[in-house]
Amino acid sequence: MQQFDHEPPKWALWFLQFYCKPRIREIIEGDAYELFYKRVETDGLTAAKRKFGWDILRFFRPKYIKGLEDINSLNNIAMFKNYFKISVRSLVRQKFFSIINISGLSLGLAACLLIMLYITNELSYDNFHKDVDRVYRIANGQSGQYTPASLGAQSKRDFPEIEEVVRLSGPYDQTFKVNSQIFKEGEGFSADSTFHKIFTVQFLEGNPDKALTEPNSIIITKSLAAKLFPNQEAYGQLLTVGGNSIKVTGVVADPPNNTHFHYNFIESFPHESWITVGNWTGNNFFTYAKLVPGATPESVEAKYPDFVAKYVGPDLVKYTGHANYAEYLAEGGKARTFTLKPMKDLHLYYPHMALGSQGDINNVYIFSAVAFFILLIASINFMNLSTARSAARSKEVGMRKVLGSRRKQLVHQFLVESMLISLVAMILSLGIASLFLDGFNQLANRNFSYSDLLAVDTLSKLLGLVLVVGLLAGSYPAFYLSGFQPLRALKGESKIGGGNVFLRKGLVAFQFAISIFLIISTMVVFSQLRFMGDKKLGFQPEQIMVVKHTGVLEDNLGAFKNQLLQDPNIESISLTDRYVSDRISDWGYTTMEDNPRSFSLMNLFTTDEYLETMGLELVEGRFYSNDLASDSASVVINEATKKALAFDEVLGKKLSRGDGEDYTIIGVVRDFNYASLKRSVEPLILRRMFEDGRMEGDWYGGDFLSLKVTGNFGETVKQVESGWNALVQDEPFDFVFLDDSFNSLYEEERRFGKLFTASSGLAIAIACLGLFALAAFTLERRRKEIAVRKVLGATVKNLTLLVVSDFTKLVVIGAVIAIPVGYWIMNDWLATFAYQININNPLLFLAPVIVVAIIAWLTVGFQSVKTAMGNPVKALRSE
Amino acid sequence: MQRINLGEFEELVLLVVAILNDNAYGISVMEEIEAQTERKINISAVHSALDRLESKEFLKSEVGGATNERGGRRKRFFTVTVAGNKALNFVREQRNRLHEQIPNIDFGLNQYAAI
Repeated sequence: MQQFDHEPPKWALWFLQFYCKPRIREIIEGDAYELFYKRVETDGLTAAKRKFGWDILRFFRPKYIKGLEDINSLNNIAMFKNYFKISVRSLVRQKFFSIINISGLSLGLAACLLIMLYITNELSYDNFHKDVDRVYRIANGQSGQYTPASLGAQSKRDFPEIEEVVRLSGPYDQTFKVNSQIFKEGEGFSADSTFHKIFTVQFLEGNPDKALTEPNSIIITKSLAAKLFPNQEAYGQLLTVGGNSIKVTGVVADPPNNTHFHYNFIESFPHESWITVGNWTGNNFFTYAKLVPGATPESVEAKYPDFVAKYVGPDLVKYTGHANYAEYLAEGGKARTFTLKPMKDLHLYYPHMALGSQGDINNVYIFSAVAFFILLIASINFMNLSTARSAARSKEVGMRKVLGSRRKQLVHQFLVESMLISLVAMILSLGIASLFLDGFNQLANRNFSYSDLLAVDTLSKLLGLVLVVGLLAGSYPAFYLSGFQPLRALKGESKIGGGNVFLRKGLVAFQFAISIFLIISTMVVFSQLRFMGDKKLGFQPEQIMVVKHTGVLEDNLGAFKNQLLQDPNIESISLTDRYVSDRISDWGYTTMEDNPRSFSLMNLFTTDEYLETMGLELVEGRFYSNDLASDSASVVINEATKKALAFDEVLGKKLSRGDGEDYTIIGVVRDFNYASLKRSVEPLILRRMFEDGRMEGDWYGGDFLSLKVTGNFGETVKQVESGWNALVQDEPFDFVFLDDSFNSLYEEERRFGKLFTASSGLAIAIACLGLFALAAFTLERRRKEIAVRKVLGATVKNLTLLVVSDFTKLVVIGAVIAIPVGYWIMNDWLATFAYQININNPLLFLAPVIVVAIIAWLTVGFQSVKTAMGNPVKALRSE
Repeated sequence: MQRINLGEFEELVLLVVAILNDNAYGISVMEEIEAQTERKINISAVHSALDRLESKEFLKSEVGGATNERGGRRKRFFTVTVAGNKALNFVREQRNRLHEQIPNIDFGLNQYAAI
């Protein structure tokens, strides 16, 4: 019949299938079909289809809609209740194993929880800024952080893609005077008035558009306002900075912690001329740009080469001596350009460009790896113990199977059990994590609070993690245990309960490998740190005290210096514009030849006592003298510079800064480490500073006074401080000893070392827990064997060795895996240091193996001896 | 006697099932009602009534008779139970009793007066 060739609308059938109770569906469908075919004949196909759909919709009544009982049969819920009950009973019965399982897992989860907190926080940096996806930092070249003053404004004028720009400089410290009270505050910046259009700032008081338009204006954060003006309205108040009055034109909410740009206060630039001054080769500002929606950073970057040729080129060739920029490029000069870095990448991917935040994508990776490994060890424990215990459960499994359990149901049962353990571990891990939160904050250099730990977001992630761990760690035992043959299980064949011995041993060996690897890393990191601490820098850093901010002494500088020289403990003093271990900037110099070559040299202005104060060794020529007027254009270089310049005879050669500024090299000092030992000694040029602290062009630069101190340091510091306080009112006394200052350069590495110590300790602790339980289990199963051996004449020593040697093999296997991996990874890490320890020291690798072996022996040996000393009759008398 | 709870449409369906005897299922019941009363009804309403009657135990059902017209799906045949029969009789007797008690006064509007 032709009418049966038609089909009713699919959607209606699908909908019916979706909602309808299965046992009624057939009848409803049948009636609907019958009507449909009849209507095809009488009403036509279209009407029949429409009516079919309508009928199906009319059947959508509570009576016919699937209920819970149709999705899951009620029986399953009852079974799950039973699984839960059995799980609790078996956990309680095997208290020892349960405690080890749960405590190991909760330690691992706690570590993961803390690390998860850290990683989530790292990845959230700067996301709170509106339009963060459109904000870019303009880098000088590929990653130079400082850019020319007019770059931002000119780019905005020339490129339609750029919506807004802002320049920042900082961070710096500033001393404020409020009603004769002095406050020294850090994290200060200067910014253009467009600041609030790039960054999201919440103004509590003041007009965002007007706040930074006038010179001598300042925006302060709410917390700084509360500190400077307690119980007062801060808005509109005046502050005194270095004799100038500055008006508070805005009070803003404190920026959140997760930003690369954390400020305490923001000042307007002194005046417009100051910031537009500076040619295109003077890089002093950070420039941020917000692109218009839809514009890509690549399209802006593509325009920069032409931009550079137009604006930067003419300024550049003034110093290089070329006729124009094209010639400069043709003769092999380095092309200048600018690139755009997304603001949200600054914290993790360009930490040197971040304004104060300390992030590193490598830390994120390392922390993740550590978390993963620790959790892996804990999960391995879990799997091992569950399979090892299977002998005790084999009868239960057999009985369940005989009574009609399907394999799937048994798998469910064991998964419920592992989930239960994981959930208990999760609750414990929250407690453990809050105990160690402070320690972790130090380790990660962050400030997490308990409320961060208990935030819904964190907890839901933890729950997700727990479910995954419970499922993964529980699935192997579940599938393994549920696979028992019921008959053999009920007969109590001991073999069946042994589990996959090979797999279990492999997992234990893997745990050892992770532990050994982590100890190797710890040892290498600390050896390197000690090596750097002991390294001869070329001077005595512990003898050099640097007094900061000597610029504020002004006319009293001479008096202060004279007063210091009276002190018998102070041998020598000299004034500098920077100090070693702190940031020293590089300046461009060119040689005076037919084909001038350009060099970028680290530039330090010092008075002539510097050689003596620092105890530097002169290799060639002489040091400049402040007494000789003719020495004003004399410079001293270090050996690295000499090597870079590659003259046969370096003394007497001239270097130029362009515009007729020429300097004659009159001496060479032996290389000394004036910066982090991560870098080798870079070319340095020492230039003369006048006794009154003036540098070239009468600029004042004498901001740091280096003192060579012998004898009693504490007393000397007190002397210097009282001398300072007598002369200076507005600036607190601030000083540093160079050895401390150098040490602080390795803060990151020290944290790294602590992280490895903590994680290797944790890894070993968890692995030992597992090992302890596993050994207990093994001995329990071999009790009769050991008793028989003893009866046949084996000594306690023989028996102990028998068990211990089993585990020692696993340590050896672990070592074989861990040593090459550790060597490879730590070699990579050491490559970031210019001065490094010799990693081919076998002690670095053998010691961790021995440590782990000893820990394993102690863990296993104690129990083995106990078992071996037992009375064999007790083990053998019952069968 | 217990109270018999039978709605107007239910009564109609029950009667039709009784009339159709062996061939009472959703469609046939619907068509019979449509033919006898000239009411337009939806199949889902019939199903609903049949289900209600079954849950009141006035009907019982069995499944069978897959045919091509139904796309190979089976029918659910309904038959009237003893309780269903009793209920029909009860309702009928009650009606009759009530009808007989109507006084024979002709209001000129009362169509029942002629009965």
